[in-house]
Amino acid sequence: MATLNEKKTCSQRMENFQRFVWNPDTGQLMGRTLINWVWISLYYVAFYVVVTGLFALSIFSLMMTLNPYTPDYQDRLKSPGVTLRPDVYGEKGLEIYYNVSEEHSWEGFVKTLQKFLSGYNETAQQANKNCYREGYYFQKKFDAPNHTKHSCKFTQEMLGNCSGLVDPNFGFSEGSPCLIIKMNRIINFLPGNGTEPRVNCTTLDDESPLDVQYYPRNGTFKLHYFPYYGCKAQPSYSNPLVAVKLLNVPINKGIHVVCRVVGTGITSDNPHDPYEGKVEFKVCIKA
Amino acid sequence: DKYEMYSVEMEKHSGGEMDVKIKKKTKGAKKKEKLENMKKEMVVDDHELSVEDLELKYRTSVTKEIFLRDGPNELKPPKGTPEYVKFARQLAGGLQCLMWVAAAICLIAFGIQCGQGDLTSADNLYLAIALIAVVVVTGCFGYYQEFKSTNIIASFKNLVPQQATVIRDGDKFQINANQLVVGDLVEIKGGDRVPADIRIITAQGCKVDNSSLTGESEPQTRAPECTHESPLETRNIAFFSTMCLEGTATGIIINTGDRTIIGRIASLASGVENEKTPIAIEIEHFVDIIAGLAIFFGATFFVVAMVIGYPFLKAMVFFMAIVVAYVPEGLLATVTVCLSLTAKRLARKNCVVKNLEAVETLGSTSVICSDKTGTLTQNRMTVSHLWFDNQIHTADTTEDQSGQSFDQSSDTWRALCKVVSLCNRAFFKSGQDDVPIPKRIVIGDASETALLKFSEITLGNVMEYRERYKKACEIPFNSTNKFQLSIHELEDPRDQRYLLVMKGAPERILERCSTIMIKGQELPLDEQWKEAFQTAYMDLGGLGERVLGFCHIYLPQNEFPRGYNFDCDEMNFPTSGLCFAGLISMIDPPRATVPDAVMKCRTAGIRVIMVTGDHPITAKAIAASVGIISEGSETVEDIATRLRIPVEQVNKRDARACVVNGGQLKDMETEELVEILKMHPEMVFARTSPQQKLIIVESCQKLGAIVAVTGDGVNDSPALKKADIGVAMGIAGSDAAKNAADMILLDDNFASIVTGVEQGRLIFDNLKKSIAYTLTKNIPELTPYLIYITVSVPLPLGCITILFIELCTDIFPSVSLAYEKAESDIMHLKPRNPRRDRLVNEALAVYSYFQIGAIQSFAGFTDYFTAMAQEGWYPLKCVGLRADWENDHLQDVEDSYGQQWTFGQRLYQEYTCYTVFFISIEMCQIADVLIRKTRRLSVFQQGFFRNKILVIAIVFQICLGCFLCYCPGMPNIFNFMPIRFQWWLVPMPFGILIFVYDEIRKLGVRRHPGSWWDKELYY
Repeated sequence: MATLNEKKTCSQRMENFQRFVWNPDTGQLMGRTLINWVWISLYYVAFYVVVTGLFALSIFSLMMTLNPYTPDYQDRLKSPGVTLRPDVYGEKGLEIYYNVSEEHSWEGFVKTLQKFLSGYNETAQQANKNCYREGYYFQKKFDAPNHTKHSCKFTQEMLGNCSGLVDPNFGFSEGSPCLIIKMNRIINFLPGNGTEPRVNCTTLDDESPLDVQYYPRNGTFKLHYFPYYGCKAQPSYSNPLVAVKLLNVPINKGIHVVCRVVGTGITSDNPHDPYEGKVEFKVCIKA
Repeated sequence: DKYEMYSVEMEKHSGGEMDVKIKKKTKGAKKKEKLENMKKEMVVDDHELSVEDLELKYRTSVTKEIFLRDGPNELKPPKGTPEYVKFARQLAGGLQCLMWVAAAICLIAFGIQCGQGDLTSADNLYLAIALIAVVVVTGCFGYYQEFKSTNIIASFKNLVPQQATVIRDGDKFQINANQLVVGDLVEIKGGDRVPADIRIITAQGCKVDNSSLTGESEPQTRAPECTHESPLETRNIAFFSTMCLEGTATGIIINTGDRTIIGRIASLASGVENEKTPIAIEIEHFVDIIAGLAIFFGATFFVVAMVIGYPFLKAMVFFMAIVVAYVPEGLLATVTVCLSLTAKRLARKNCVVKNLEAVETLGSTSVICSDKTGTLTQNRMTVSHLWFDNQIHTADTTEDQSGQSFDQSSDTWRALCKVVSLCNRAFFKSGQDDVPIPKRIVIGDASETALLKFSEITLGNVMEYRERYKKACEIPFNSTNKFQLSIHELEDPRDQRYLLVMKGAPERILERCSTIMIKGQELPLDEQWKEAFQTAYMDLGGLGERVLGFCHIYLPQNEFPRGYNFDCDEMNFPTSGLCFAGLISMIDPPRATVPDAVMKCRTAGIRVIMVTGDHPITAKAIAASVGIISEGSETVEDIATRLRIPVEQVNKRDARACVVNGGQLKDMETEELVEILKMHPEMVFARTSPQQKLIIVESCQKLGAIVAVTGDGVNDSPALKKADIGVAMGIAGSDAAKNAADMILLDDNFASIVTGVEQGRLIFDNLKKSIAYTLTKNIPELTPYLIYITVSVPLPLGCITILFIELCTDIFPSVSLAYEKAESDIMHLKPRNPRRDRLVNEALAVYSYFQIGAIQSFAGFTDYFTAMAQEGWYPLKCVGLRADWENDHLQDVEDSYGQQWTFGQRLYQEYTCYTVFFISIEMCQIADVLIRKTRRLSVFQQGFFRNKILVIAIVFQICLGCFLCYCPGMPNIFNFMPIRFQWWLVPMPFGILIFVYDEIRKLGVRRHPGSWWDKELYY
């Protein structure tokens, strides 16, 4: 192997490389003649056109099989997630930290809530209908205009003191802030098995129990908002909300709050998903 | 250049000095000085000194001090590589280096991510750990394999300490040979191994076997007289580790341990560097390709990432990830396991391989330089031809006496047989009745041994026979009269005559004869018979055989009555006018399996060159009989004799064969030697020194050949080391040879080399397949990441999942390809051209990566988009989704149906995608392993299920896939999710596409060899 092992000098290597890039003897450019390059390129173009075509075909037929209203499977969405507004994340999860006396420290929270609730004002909810029925609002047919289904109205007012209409500061300035709990939408999900699911906020610190005011009353989600039929059937659907007004947050001392949505079919004990069925956050109000 | 580096020439004839010049381009003066010292030390003139001078030179009374000075009298084992170096070597191959670099890059990337405060993803850390673990584990495995084979070899070493009889202060002692020092007076006798280099002082019929030193199988006489200037040729020096065959001698030790001639040759071998194995070169070439592609891809996407607008450090992390993704983590394990499987297979056929990589080397071998004595031949003189009744008879020379015997009905044969049996001083060592005759140990010189065994086989119990014919008188062979005779009483008590039997050099015997026995009749020995004798003698001599003449006479009873006092010195009996019985010729015959093996090597396109220390005539005869010189091939000399023209006029190119002896070789320039090697396909080198063997090997390597050297003697060890693969004989081989070799034939069967070649070629082909299989999945492992970067879809395939594909599910199938049968008769192909037929060529890489790998990627993405779409995320929704998807502060990301997903739900959906992509790759890899079974033939021709291991491997792979998917707890440990059954089916059409496409490719390759298609798509 002596011949193969010979150490090449750098200049030899460069020369070899140059020869590889352009070999004047054989007219080879990078190891191939020009015509050869054309052929191989054509071959690859053809190859990729065919394979991409097959891929496109498979994706196309995949799309054909899909139901536009309901997904085929909801393997991950067994139980809805629960979110909090305002959603400000600190080092470890959601943190509602502010100073009552410093307006700028809670301005952001208020703005977030206002922005969030702008989707629930009268004009935004105009398309939706007022529902009063108890129980689930099943719709077999597409009765609403444009071949859609009706969605129930949920307006800001339903949140009472936390609607931002009565108190534009959502209680932040008083040290009893309003927080909004929202349950994620899942198509055809029927929470509570006939009874209205309810938000229940507790503190994890074993001090005095948390004094909470819920809006709407009892902190329940009305059943007529369920089931959800998907954005194609219910384009104007908006999630029902529950506002939570924390009344006895100790000053200058953080508390750890967890708000669960209680109801059959809603699990909140998944160790791998902290936002399933519940939302945890810390509140710390300084004065 | 390289040749100069090792050009070590032992000058035998310069003023009686044993002179070693080492022409090395010395860099420092220190080295030079050392060499000068070495040169001085090497001067041996002891054979020319008188005994008195010798005694003065080596004062024989101060043994202790000398022992302290010189150390024990044994060959220092070549400086064994320390175990940790051996282990470190396992960690420093081409692929291993690639993986170390990759691990380092991973750690850097991890560092960058940590520095950016991104603590969530430890993938890079896992990857680095996995890479290092793979290197270390396979290193341990390889080390263990080599350790095992080293142990097998070590177990063959003779552990019994050698004893020597030494005379110190006038007393005889039996001491361990390693206690001997220079100046000791030692006694040797038949059957002993010479304990050191000895200057003979007295000798009685002492003969030694120098075959391990020079390759000559003929015993050499040792006597006190200095007969030659050269210490190697003179008779009064016996060399360390040679065998004393018969007689006794005493001598003064002149050299011990490593300073002996054998020791010097052995240390010459340790000065020769090991060559890189061809497979190591191939792997380095392959690593170059991989590294080139990795950097190219990485750089491309770095630029793309920068253009898209990623920050520099992020793009840098992408770059690193892509480079690392190109590293085939599983390949190292695959290669190691494949090689060790073959090593195991070879070990079952009695070839032990010291270095795993050497397994393949025999397959690439294009030249075998074989030693003659002990390798091609049995290293045992055997009667091969007889001439009596004016006819040459052929005796059976096979090792197990399975050959044909000659017609034994003639009376002449009976007479000849009587002479052969009686005129013989050799005898069997007692207690060997159960041992087959050819294997029995005989006390006596080689030709007497041959004759004794021959008559034992043809006649029966010779010892008893001799007792029946009581010996009256005997004259042993000596060099002046060149015959041996003995006088015996006859068996028949009524016949009171004496029988005189004589054997010796044929022409001397003939001189003493007046009659010749033909068909039992004594006929006068006239010119016509003399002519017939001459012809027969020349014929047998021309076969390279040693010829002995035999004659006898019945002494007349009246002159020599019973009880006649025969006087051996006076020779008071007739020694002429005898009756000529016949000629017997002997040779060290080739091993039975050799001619067939040589033939197979030749059909496999391997050139077999004989390199021996023996005489040219013998060498040529053996070469011809084993087929190294094929029938009808002539040397220049043969042509000259045939055409009756002077040698100079012969066109050298007409001669296929060529015999070169050491003397000619010495005067030759390297270029000349290379020229000769090019000109004559059939070469025999005779009378070569160990250094010349080295030069021959180098010259062959200069021609671009991959050279295997087979040998057993110490004299072969430098060449064994220099060769690309040294093959030593396990039984006959000396320790020096075994140490220098890479492979050891435990049964000394040259034919095992053919097995080695076959297995080597097979593993080369199969490694190609394994590598192609392993490389293919690199692309479907890489493209998800590329798409993730450029199109910002949720990551389709995770790092841990990739590691599972590489190191878990795909290992067994890729190893199972090592069990694939050859596609064609590989033993009828030429050896691969190391410059053209690479293990991994561009065609293989390009076909695997950009065609099969591309199809696999498409399969993976189809399945990925299916899983996503059916769970609610349409393909177009996925595009650009990455930022939201990966934001763990967003708990309500909406899918295509308006459903809202928490981060946890998205994460598990991502794991589902990983699993789906994983299963897609697995499904496609099943198709891939099926297509990799063959490179040219259709899989249907090769047989789907013939490779049982491969079928098992596929089943195993599927089971493992199921286990990973459906074992509870997997999602949170290894990020595998239980997936829906139909997602297993989605990639199947692509698998079928791969299979069909490759069948079409193979069809084209078979139908149109040499076409554009063949060139571009055959790997």
